[in-house]
Amino acid sequence: MKNSPFRMDPSKIMDEVSAFQRKLASGMGLLRGARQPEYANTPRELVYSEDKLKVWHFKGAKKPTSKTPLLIAYALVNTVWMTDLQEDRSMVRNLLEQGEDVYLIDWGYPDASDRWLTLDDYINGYLDRCVDAVRQRHKLAAIDLLGICQGGVFSLCYTALHPQKIRNLITMVTPVNFQTPDNMLSHWARTLDVDRFVDTVGNIPAALMNYVYLSLKPVRLNQQKYVGLVDILESPVELENFLRMERWIFDSPDQAGDAFREFIQKFYQQNGLMSGELEIGGRRVDLGQIKHPVLNIFAEQDHLVPPDASRAMATRLGTDDYTQLAFKGGHIGIYVSGRAQREVPPAIHQWLRERD
Amino acid sequence: MSDENPRVTKQADDFFQNGAAKDYQDIVRKSWEAFAAYMQPPFGTPSAEEARRSSSTSTKSAPVNLTLDHALAGLKSYADWLQSAAASVSAPQNDWQQQIQQLFAGASQPFSHGFAGADNAGAKTFVDQWRAWLNSHQKADASAANAKPQAPGASGFGFGNDPHAQQQALADAIAKHLEAAQRYQALMQRSNAQAIEKMQARLSKLTAPGQQIESLKVLYDLWVDCAEEAYAEIALSEEFREAYGEMVNTQIRVRQLQQEQTEYLCQQLGIPTRSDVSSLGERLHALRREMRQGKTAPPADHADELAALRRDVALLKEQLLASRSPKSAAKKAPTTKAAVAKKVSRLAVKKSVAKPSSRKITKAAAKKSVVSPPRAKRVAPVKPRKRS
Repeated sequence: MKNSPFRMDPSKIMDEVSAFQRKLASGMGLLRGARQPEYANTPRELVYSEDKLKVWHFKGAKKPTSKTPLLIAYALVNTVWMTDLQEDRSMVRNLLEQGEDVYLIDWGYPDASDRWLTLDDYINGYLDRCVDAVRQRHKLAAIDLLGICQGGVFSLCYTALHPQKIRNLITMVTPVNFQTPDNMLSHWARTLDVDRFVDTVGNIPAALMNYVYLSLKPVRLNQQKYVGLVDILESPVELENFLRMERWIFDSPDQAGDAFREFIQKFYQQNGLMSGELEIGGRRVDLGQIKHPVLNIFAEQDHLVPPDASRAMATRLGTDDYTQLAFKGGHIGIYVSGRAQREVPPAIHQWLRERD
Repeated sequence: MSDENPRVTKQADDFFQNGAAKDYQDIVRKSWEAFAAYMQPPFGTPSAEEARRSSSTSTKSAPVNLTLDHALAGLKSYADWLQSAAASVSAPQNDWQQQIQQLFAGASQPFSHGFAGADNAGAKTFVDQWRAWLNSHQKADASAANAKPQAPGASGFGFGNDPHAQQQALADAIAKHLEAAQRYQALMQRSNAQAIEKMQARLSKLTAPGQQIESLKVLYDLWVDCAEEAYAEIALSEEFREAYGEMVNTQIRVRQLQQEQTEYLCQQLGIPTRSDVSSLGERLHALRREMRQGKTAPPADHADELAALRRDVALLKEQLLASRSPKSAAKKAPTTKAAVAKKVSRLAVKKSVAKPSSRKITKAAAKKSVVSPPRAKRVAPVKPRKRS
């Protein structure tokens, strides 16, 4: 074919097709017989629980060198085990090795009895009592708080409302400006009749949340990654890592109806942190009240929380001690990529030690 | 029975006598299954409950099987495309741009099962299921009233018109959803067309030797890049935002009306409804919040009582200090002691009278209430410094 971009040898093409089918046939047997991979399961003890919520205290190989404990608040969507996914890719484990004293809030799986939980319940209720539990264990007036994604938004609101209980604040992939032009989730959420949605559906099913996330990159996430899977089916380690990530993606909690309603309306639709009109539990959330040291880490290739959504934090805080760290990776890679293991926990530790 | 809607009563009788209950259950089940399937990702994902169950399973597990399902669904259309692409590229053709159209347009595209389930087939299934629901209700209603069902859009009126109005609202909602789904689908088709244009533009720059595409996998990866790029452009447009919102909102409206119909029927049959349970949950949650607030903030009446007691203690301390001062000791001590004794005695009497059972004051109780000196003695040794 003249001026054609194709230079395909029919015999090589047939080899390619038959090789794919051969790998697929043998690999599917392996996939069918595979066991569910475990998460890293770094040793931990339960130090506080309430309703579905648990606070875990992690045990490292050595005693913590930091004087102030670090409490991690994850998002309500997905499970918290992204922070402790597998032994060689665990943010929690790496923070322990650095000398941090790490606590983690596991929000649990809401059911129908949690339908009426509000953001006030989550932020001024659950999160506040978790902070108090850690403060009391260490007999400290204030602790360090690390919020991730939606948990970062909660942490910002919490620190603004309860400034005396937080010493240093770290946010990871946390949006402040929910209406940047490249935010696809926000773009879609703005025309959603969320009142009718929650009134009708109640708690938001995890499957529906996953459906929306997969819709952000439908071909890549629904097909291309499985085409890529065929090439690693015969590698037990790579297959196990793939299945572990699949487990995490689809092992998601439902969302408490009223909290979901409020989150969509106040953040995605009204962009409350930017407008300064956000109220949680009847109290105005003013990010200008955050005079604490703040470390804001975001991912440059994040399709869920675009970098600009996070960078906007700098314009709203009241602190003079603001540090920004741009990570070369995506929303999930910031926890589990090889680069993340080398860069993120040491950066957090160093920043905290300079302020301990 | 005169206060009951005769048509509903008849409907309820038919419901049980003609074995319609089973049909009704079947319709509910099928409708729900269709809705759940529609709302879920194309390949299905585990619910939180499934995930929890699976996480306690150490053997072959649900998520692995689900991954298998996901992978198979994604791979099947890819494998089909691979076959047809192999045949296409092996045959000599003069127009490579036409060849791209054949490989990636319409049903032959590698992701032919649609963008995230919101394709025509999905919408059609959804609408068909709800029409079945609607028809079943119209038939039951028509049978009970011995009348032909009215066409959607026609207005109903008169006593017992509620079920008819509900059906009509549902028919209208389904029609609106179908329109919204078609608008959404048109955007998806546009996205696919733009992906092909992008691909043709990129391929046209790869005609030099050494740059040409030699493998189907490379061609597929290039198509994925173009498809995602075109989709992102459409998905971030104002037009898409309106269409997407309309599609979701109309779909939820259909479900809301179905719930209302279900609740209406359940109420007639004396079956507790979702709203009943939800209402109880809301009340319970409000009570829990009140209880928690009660734990953290002391009630105002206790605060007043505490303040009054503190004033009394302060007064007693002053009086005790005064009684110990050298100048006034000889002169004031007896008076102060007496005053303290009197005050404590008064408090004791007040306390005993406050008890309902002490209305009839026994001799012992009366004696106790007036035994002030020992109480005064108990108060007297307290050192103000320590108290403060």
